[in-house]
Amino acid sequence: MAQLLDIVTTAAILYAVAAGLLIVFGVMKIINFAHGGFLTIGGYSALIVTRLGWNPWWSLGFAVVIGVVCGAIVERLVMRPLYARPLDAILATWGLGIVVGQVITLQFGREVQFVQSPVSGAMAILGESYSQYRLILVVLAVVLAVAIGLVLNATSLGLQTRAVIMNENLARGLGINSGLVRFATFSIGSGLAALAGALITPLSSVDPNMGVPWLVNAFMLVLVSGMSLVSLGVSCLVLGGAQVLVSTYGNPVAGGLTIVVLSALILRFRPQGFARE
Amino acid sequence: MSKAPGRAAAMPAALRAGAARRVDTRALVAGSAVALALVAAGPFVLPDFMVNNLIRAFLYAAVALTVDVLWGYTGVLTFGQSAFFGIGVYAVGLIFTHAGFNFEYAALAFAAAVIGAVIVALLVGWLAFYHGASPLYASVVTLVLPIVVTQLLYSGGTFTGSSSGLSGFESFQIELDAWFRIAGAFLVAVTAATWLFVRSDAGRVLVAIRENEPRCEYLGLDVSRIKTWLLAASAVVASIAGYAFASVQMVVAPEYAGFVFGTELVIWVALGGRGTLIGPVVGTLLIDVSTAYLSGNMPFMWKLVIGVTFVLVILAAPEGIGPLAARLLRGGRREGPGAEVPEVRPVADAAPAAGAEGAGAALEVSGVRKRFGSLLVLDGIDFVARRGELLSLVGPNGAGKTTLLRCIADGGERSAGDIVVNGRSIERRPPHECVGLGVGRKFQNANIFDALTVAETIRIAHARVDRPSLWSRSATLDLPQAVLRVLQTTGLDQQLGTRVRHLSHGQKQALELAMVLSLEPSVLLLDEPTAGLTKPERTLIGQILVDLAHTHDLCIVLVEHDLDFVREISSRVIVLHQGRIVLDGTVAEVVDSETVRTIYSGARR
Repeated sequence: MAQLLDIVTTAAILYAVAAGLLIVFGVMKIINFAHGGFLTIGGYSALIVTRLGWNPWWSLGFAVVIGVVCGAIVERLVMRPLYARPLDAILATWGLGIVVGQVITLQFGREVQFVQSPVSGAMAILGESYSQYRLILVVLAVVLAVAIGLVLNATSLGLQTRAVIMNENLARGLGINSGLVRFATFSIGSGLAALAGALITPLSSVDPNMGVPWLVNAFMLVLVSGMSLVSLGVSCLVLGGAQVLVSTYGNPVAGGLTIVVLSALILRFRPQGFARE
Repeated sequence: MSKAPGRAAAMPAALRAGAARRVDTRALVAGSAVALALVAAGPFVLPDFMVNNLIRAFLYAAVALTVDVLWGYTGVLTFGQSAFFGIGVYAVGLIFTHAGFNFEYAALAFAAAVIGAVIVALLVGWLAFYHGASPLYASVVTLVLPIVVTQLLYSGGTFTGSSSGLSGFESFQIELDAWFRIAGAFLVAVTAATWLFVRSDAGRVLVAIRENEPRCEYLGLDVSRIKTWLLAASAVVASIAGYAFASVQMVVAPEYAGFVFGTELVIWVALGGRGTLIGPVVGTLLIDVSTAYLSGNMPFMWKLVIGVTFVLVILAAPEGIGPLAARLLRGGRREGPGAEVPEVRPVADAAPAAGAEGAGAALEVSGVRKRFGSLLVLDGIDFVARRGELLSLVGPNGAGKTTLLRCIADGGERSAGDIVVNGRSIERRPPHECVGLGVGRKFQNANIFDALTVAETIRIAHARVDRPSLWSRSATLDLPQAVLRVLQTTGLDQQLGTRVRHLSHGQKQALELAMVLSLEPSVLLLDEPTAGLTKPERTLIGQILVDLAHTHDLCIVLVEHDLDFVREISSRVIVLHQGRIVLDGTVAEVVDSETVRTIYSGARR
């Protein structure tokens, strides 16, 4: 039972981390290496909230705002000139990740720090006593998924975004401002990354490189999922589940490698991954 | 007969080629000599601290070179060369720590470093470079590799020393000054060898892969295999660098195999100038040595400076700082001096492929179907084409013409049915193996290799028949008669040194045709060979095609919209409509028939 809860909560965390990366990948067709940097920014936003002595729940909103603003600036200054050179854009986002890590190190120091958790303690569920915060994360991840789904399917920006994901040139030909869609997507994606950073920090700690391990797992999940939020959910459950099982019955090191190795193998034999087409 | 004037005209070209090569060789010898002299003199003038740093920088630069060959020349963005460096490092660390140090163990460690690197490289190549793999996937695999390697090292307990690594083992009793010279000479040797390689005829193939990988496969090149062996070779170089590094430092740690180091290598190459060899070497030396000096005073600030510079370079000068400086020195010109031109030598045509003599069937298509999801694009196509036949496929847009050509040229494309070329089924063979059976496919849009010259392009197209040298450039270009004719008729033989991006649309189409003919195919698939051409150009190509079918006994299958053109040149016409063959006969029977008019006008039924 505890394992089932572990699997579900792990999948929820992975989903929260990977969702922003997925929409950026869908619209811009690039893997955003700076995602790890934005995740770190979110973690440190939570740290600032803790230091200011605010209610820890504020850290979520604060992280989103900081993430969106940073994402918007980066999109205008760095991503926009690289629209025509996607491979260079990937490299530039990697450089941005380094810049973020160093700026944070200069500002906050390189040591590991802790933030206050909004809730603590355990609650009884399915006959188990389980971390309340991890359970809340599941709820939040579901809310997040539904929210993204609603934005994509029920707003005009969402409709335009889906058009750009399917065929950017055609969308442009139909009068859709794909530059605006890219701008909005990158900003929101960065906001989501920062939100995920704020969400995961109470579980562990913050340090300037906290984003890197998450980044690699997240983009393997995105590659396996193709461009669908639904298959991202499936990948998070299946691969996150495999990670939990391998860590429990095998060893933690193998568990840490489960997602990347399994994803690489899945893509080798089924390049479309978990996506239907 | 045509040989004498051809030779006379080519004479100056051959002379120029020879001169250019002599300049190249002289530059190589002079450059290496100066570099070796500097390396020999270094320890006399440099402080110990600097000597120590430069040993490390030399070895890192050798690894950066391998990144440049893979990424700058071949287009494989790799984050994983650190893993191969790490294999060399740990071969030394593990064997010297657990078995001890003597000459035999040193040799054993060297063998382990080389063999280990090759095995891992072949594994990575199998994973990352399969037919149809996306470049992004390949990069991701190279990113996963160092992560896996470091995690394994972390979990190795006392055997690998886990996160603190191994140290305190015995190693070679060699002075630091001598190590400096060894590492320096190693770097010079690797640079010189790489320089010869990338400028050789085989090196041009790497650029062709970078520019247009799918096209290379349709030229009969086994791109997956080329990339895999290239990775293996660069893995060996990186691993030897790691071996030397651990031997001199006498300390090993997981970071040397890690992905942060792997990405740093990419940054150094990007800053120095990808695809230039010298740029990455100089870049690595400068950055690594500055890091050693500056990271003491301002560790985080320095990394920040590197990060910001990297982003700025990618944005403003993607070719790197080295080439940017060179361009400014040359006064703004992007390209260096014009390329050399080889002497053209006509060769006798190869004997027709076995089992293909006479009027036997060159191409048998039976029951071929192709579906995209629920859409059936080809629905049971059957026909047989013979040598000497010029068969035109006509039909409205979306009839499945191009899809049919694709199914013949790539065994993995069709959903059902069988295709036999010269008596052998293409089964599920990838494009480069179909070329081996005798299939040559010309694409609808001339998509060639913009950065290469006409002569280089033709040589690459001919590489399947005539293996290019790994270290030198040939002064001659052997061409089959048919290729020579196309080049001569279109005047391209006078422009062998011109870069493809400077050719006109018509010339590119002619070059594509020449490329496909260089494969010496027996079944020639042409997708709208005259699209976008002027009337005289079209007539010219038409004449060449008719002539090829007759004198060279080729089976030509042609997709064409221009019914007048079809009428002029075809010996047979097949009409496709909604994925089926609706008519199959001579020009007179088909082109003037009521059915064709109905299909094309689309109206009356």
